[in-house]
Amino acid sequence: MRRNAKLMAGAAGLVLAIGATQILPGLGLTAADHLDPPGRTDPSVDSTPDRAADIADIFAWHTDDKFNMVLTFSGPQATDEPATYDPDVLYQINISNAGSRVDTEIPIRVRFGRGAMTDEFGVQVSNVPGVTGNIVGSVEKDLTKDGVMVRAGLFDDPFFFDLQGFMETKDTGDLSFMADRDFFAGQNLTAIVISIPLDRIANGDNLVDVWAETARFGGQL
Amino acid sequence: MTFANTRCLRAIALAPAFVALTMLPGCFDGDDDDDDMVVMPTPTPTPTPTPTSASFDVGPCLQQEIPGTGGFTVADAVIPDTLTINLGADAGFPNGRLLSDPVIDVTLAVIFLDLMEHSPLTFANIPLNPPENDVAFRSGFPFLAAPQGSPPLASTSGTTFTFRTDAPAAYERVDRMGMPAVATVLIGSDQKIPYNDASPQDDANETFVPELAQQLTGLTEALADDLTNAGLTPCAMPS
Repeated sequence: MRRNAKLMAGAAGLVLAIGATQILPGLGLTAADHLDPPGRTDPSVDSTPDRAADIADIFAWHTDDKFNMVLTFSGPQATDEPATYDPDVLYQINISNAGSRVDTEIPIRVRFGRGAMTDEFGVQVSNVPGVTGNIVGSVEKDLTKDGVMVRAGLFDDPFFFDLQGFMETKDTGDLSFMADRDFFAGQNLTAIVISIPLDRIANGDNLVDVWAETARFGGQL
Repeated sequence: MTFANTRCLRAIALAPAFVALTMLPGCFDGDDDDDDMVVMPTPTPTPTPTPTSASFDVGPCLQQEIPGTGGFTVADAVIPDTLTINLGADAGFPNGRLLSDPVIDVTLAVIFLDLMEHSPLTFANIPLNPPENDVAFRSGFPFLAAPQGSPPLASTSGTTFTFRTDAPAAYERVDRMGMPAVATVLIGSDQKIPYNDASPQDDANETFVPELAQQLTGLTEALADDLTNAGLTPCAMPS
């Protein structure tokens, strides 16, 4: 009985997937946000894709005493490729905690800069609640100031999704979804991780809203 | 679900399906005061394209509450396009987003299935897509797994760096993101640039509600029979 139920559930998934192939072409499903918008970040669409400014994902969650945010970008990429630290891109994580859900009360801004040597890069995080001045230091290191932790660097791409199956299904009309095939497996990207004491983000019972944006100095590529 | 939310949804239920969609954000603006609740439907004067087919009303999909979120609806989750966190509830998508959350399968479930009949984890439990990352996340900061392979890493010995000091106004928007897959699944190709240039305030102003409704309606038209044949109950209603 248990097995039959599981098989039926599996069948439901297959049928859904088949149905999806009949309509999803053209909708531009790529991933969480990797390579979107295609006209600016997808090399198959844009001759000057802005990889550095291409957001892959934004994560935000709370624990008993921390509010954690992870912004990933410039990926996925092969495991022999370096991280992307572009001094001309402004990364901004916007936090709304006053109740409107749309106004940004806390715009946390992240920039990268070059060091004295060609393989040295720094990260600067500004406008963090409870932090005097900026958090500045080398990438690939845990940075701590006034109770806030920051790390920028190269990481495994944390997203998981059968993009290949989706694309094959779309192209052939034959069902190709596989739950054990993760397009993002074995790939890396660049990320910024910020952990802030929860009481600096909480504002009574208000909902907290988080979104991310990227912008390029002097205009788009 | 507050009384005001409920009252608003009842008003919406009396409105034509598409007009009702445009009213949803007003029901869930994040506060519980009654002053700004729309009691009776007042169709927006903004020209809105008619969905390509009226065979399904996706209003019930957007109006349905996501179980375990304290009354948070699908519309709340999508409009505005932000990750929303109720600090008084457990963390986990759609209450914020953990690294380990199976967001695609959950998203597909909440926009297509009747959540009175099916769990948001219906597809994740099959699963339809890979259920977890290929390598384990770290339990503590920085949470993400180390890069795979042996990529060249920047030196960590630098102590002085040169950063741009230009004001944000000197930069031009490239990309924005809040909820996973909303911009990629529910926004069509011709709206992607305007969508990524917009803000949560634009979302709340219903700028993209017609587009969201049109895309979701199109998806539903293709999938409703398949869902039904698989023994699942779609949230969309024939119209």
